[in-house]
Amino acid sequence: MYLTGWTALLAALGAVPALWSTGRTFAWVWVLGVLTLALMDAWLAPRPTDVGVRRETPRAVRLTESTAASLEIANLGRRTMRLAVRDAWQPSAGADTSRHRLRLAAGEAARLTTTLTPTRRGDRSADRVTVRLEGPLRLAGRQRSIDAPGVLRVLPEFASRRHLPSRLARLREIDGQTAVQLKGAGAEFDSLREYVIGDDVRSLDWRASARRGEVLVRTYRPERDRRVFTVLDTSRLSAARVGDAPRLDAGIEATLLLSALAARAGDRVQVTAFDRTERARAAGTTGPAMMPALADALATVQPALLEPDWAALARLIQGRLSQRSLVVLLTTVDVSSVDSGLLDAVRALRREHVVLVASVEDPHEAEMLAGREDVTEVYSAAAAARAALERDAVAMRLRQLGADVVTAGPDDLAPAVADRYLALKAAGRL
Amino acid sequence: MSVDYARADVRPSLARRARKRPIALLAAALFVAIVVVLVWSSKPQDYTPLSPDNAAGDGARAAAEILRGQGVDVRKVATLGAARVADPPTTTLVIAEPHLLQEYQVQALLDYPGDLVTLGADDATLAATASGLSTSSDSGSTLALAACDNDDALAAEQVEAGPWTVLGTPAAGVTTCFPTPSGAATYVDLERDAGRLTILVSPDIVTNERLDQAGNAALTLRTLGRHENVVWYVADGLDTSVPTWEGGDGIAPPESVPVSPDFLPPGTLPAVFALGLAVMVTALWRARRFGPLVREPLPVVVRASEATRGRARLYRRSRAAGRAAAALRAHAATRMGARLGVPRAAGADSLVDAITRATGRDRGAITDLLYGAPPTSDAALMTLITELDTLEGEVHRP
Repeated sequence: MYLTGWTALLAALGAVPALWSTGRTFAWVWVLGVLTLALMDAWLAPRPTDVGVRRETPRAVRLTESTAASLEIANLGRRTMRLAVRDAWQPSAGADTSRHRLRLAAGEAARLTTTLTPTRRGDRSADRVTVRLEGPLRLAGRQRSIDAPGVLRVLPEFASRRHLPSRLARLREIDGQTAVQLKGAGAEFDSLREYVIGDDVRSLDWRASARRGEVLVRTYRPERDRRVFTVLDTSRLSAARVGDAPRLDAGIEATLLLSALAARAGDRVQVTAFDRTERARAAGTTGPAMMPALADALATVQPALLEPDWAALARLIQGRLSQRSLVVLLTTVDVSSVDSGLLDAVRALRREHVVLVASVEDPHEAEMLAGREDVTEVYSAAAAARAALERDAVAMRLRQLGADVVTAGPDDLAPAVADRYLALKAAGRL
Repeated sequence: MSVDYARADVRPSLARRARKRPIALLAAALFVAIVVVLVWSSKPQDYTPLSPDNAAGDGARAAAEILRGQGVDVRKVATLGAARVADPPTTTLVIAEPHLLQEYQVQALLDYPGDLVTLGADDATLAATASGLSTSSDSGSTLALAACDNDDALAAEQVEAGPWTVLGTPAAGVTTCFPTPSGAATYVDLERDAGRLTILVSPDIVTNERLDQAGNAALTLRTLGRHENVVWYVADGLDTSVPTWEGGDGIAPPESVPVSPDFLPPGTLPAVFALGLAVMVTALWRARRFGPLVREPLPVVVRASEATRGRARLYRRSRAAGRAAAALRAHAATRMGARLGVPRAAGADSLVDAITRATGRDRGAITDLLYGAPPTSDAALMTLITELDTLEGEVHRP
């Protein structure tokens, strides 16, 4: 049951005749009368059990994009209904309007559309649908909430996809370079073709030329079917906010760009999100289905306030990878990485694989480092300098262990990691 | 069509729920019954000062009960018009707070063919009876002796007088008693055409709190208990009616009442009360939520640089100029070393050599700047940092 504004107005109108009364009795009688009338009106309203609700929600939407979720309301009773509907979504789903008013004849159905512009990654769920059925006098009505679950998966924004075309061009350049390159590390035999003037005579295949009776050269191409294993660290350090988003989001961006690039380059991509256990995994899919599957897997990854278990991660990687691979650790290089066992894990992985450690830097710390305005700022600069020195020391240890280290701000991490991948590929170190 | 629609659960009907939980229903019914009985049986508590039903300190229930015990019929009326005195000669009309009466009501009262007692004095009555007196006040109350020729006053001997008093030269037929040291009186008795008018100028003596002091009780009971009936009226300023009695036609209340700024039309209070109830209905309207609140699990948001900022605050609080300078020097040295291609493993000497070659500065000064004694004050720290920045700028100059 609920009351409408008309009931309040009617109750207030009682003040006019009360001017001619002498006691409080009249006011009481008036208000109780109005409330009784409202109660009767609510009792006369149509039954909420006659309302049917069906929700149609799109499966997924990319962050910052909009989508429309629809809700079908049907009058399954035999009376005309005047009703108000609240289609409640959690606030971060970014629903534009949640309330709708409509009038349904018996057996009629209407479709309500709510535009959703989510503001956060992950699964955004719809709450119950609340309906209000007005009574014939419009003084009151019946209200019920109906369970109509709906979930919208909000995929990572992948803002770094704008870097993809330039990196793909760079990939093709590497292709072109190595097509005429000598056989060597990072290149594998591609095909034989007829010699044209300008080809390196050292790449002539004498055995094939003898067999075919014409001069043939071997061509090479960059190695394909390498394995790229990306680890997204979801432990406590990934929860810290850098700029406007947690560190984890920068890591997800880097994962998406690297995976898109590696998949185009013909490498096999595996991704795992890990802190003490595996939180998400994407592996096995190739081709056009790979990126949506990856985005879907990473959509619900959230930082956990846990210390990472690097030893368990090293065991997991060694169990999954049988061949030499590129292992990318998207984590935070910090003094605490030494204690948490990152160095030991890198040492263990380094024996069989190429390890790339990528770390998100805080641009705010760079600002602190440049502050010279007053003593307070100089002390801040000193603290930032000390933190930078400590990080440099850890990065140095990692490099001594044979790992590559990339550090960049949240917006630059994805292209930086992609560039390092391309550099490794060009150098034939994969 | 209806198969795939989600619908609200059908709630069991009231009768069905009652059958399921008879004890809850019984308890609810009992509760309602008790509330109804309590509301029905309890009279509203009376807190009006000088009311014969008010048992608080400023009420007059004690006096009224004693009078009843002596066989006097005390009747309280809510309006003057409700008085309807059947036999004026045997009925005392008691008016409390007479200053709240309108002029025409005072005139009507003075026509009353019986004894009149006012608890408190007011200038309108004093003037209308040509008593030659006017109201006044003392700083406090004192014990005063009767000092007059009036049986009731002499019987009481001594009462509390003040702070309310009357001053002036009493006209013929007006008796004033219980003078205070300042010469003012607190008891006025005068003969009207139709009966007596007694004014208890200081009504405190009638109250439950003061009734047992000195001769207060004697004076009160003798004054009020002259006849078998008492009609008790407490003026409230909102009543516009005039007293009525058997055989009298009284004065008709005027069509229009003179308006003063503190006087509101009689229907105002009920209308305001009705509006107050309407506000409660509005609260009912607004308080009902359109569906439940939706939960939003919020992420933890701590700035990544928070630890560094904390360290900066620690440096500042402990004035660790030396430690801060060491960090900034080391960082500057690292950057300059990277710029000049000096390997990190190389010692301080090779770095200083490289910087000397790059800038052409004095080698001793550079050594002092990078590896000298730590600064001991904030000012020294600022100077050192400025010089360090200048040096670094020279090194980084293309």
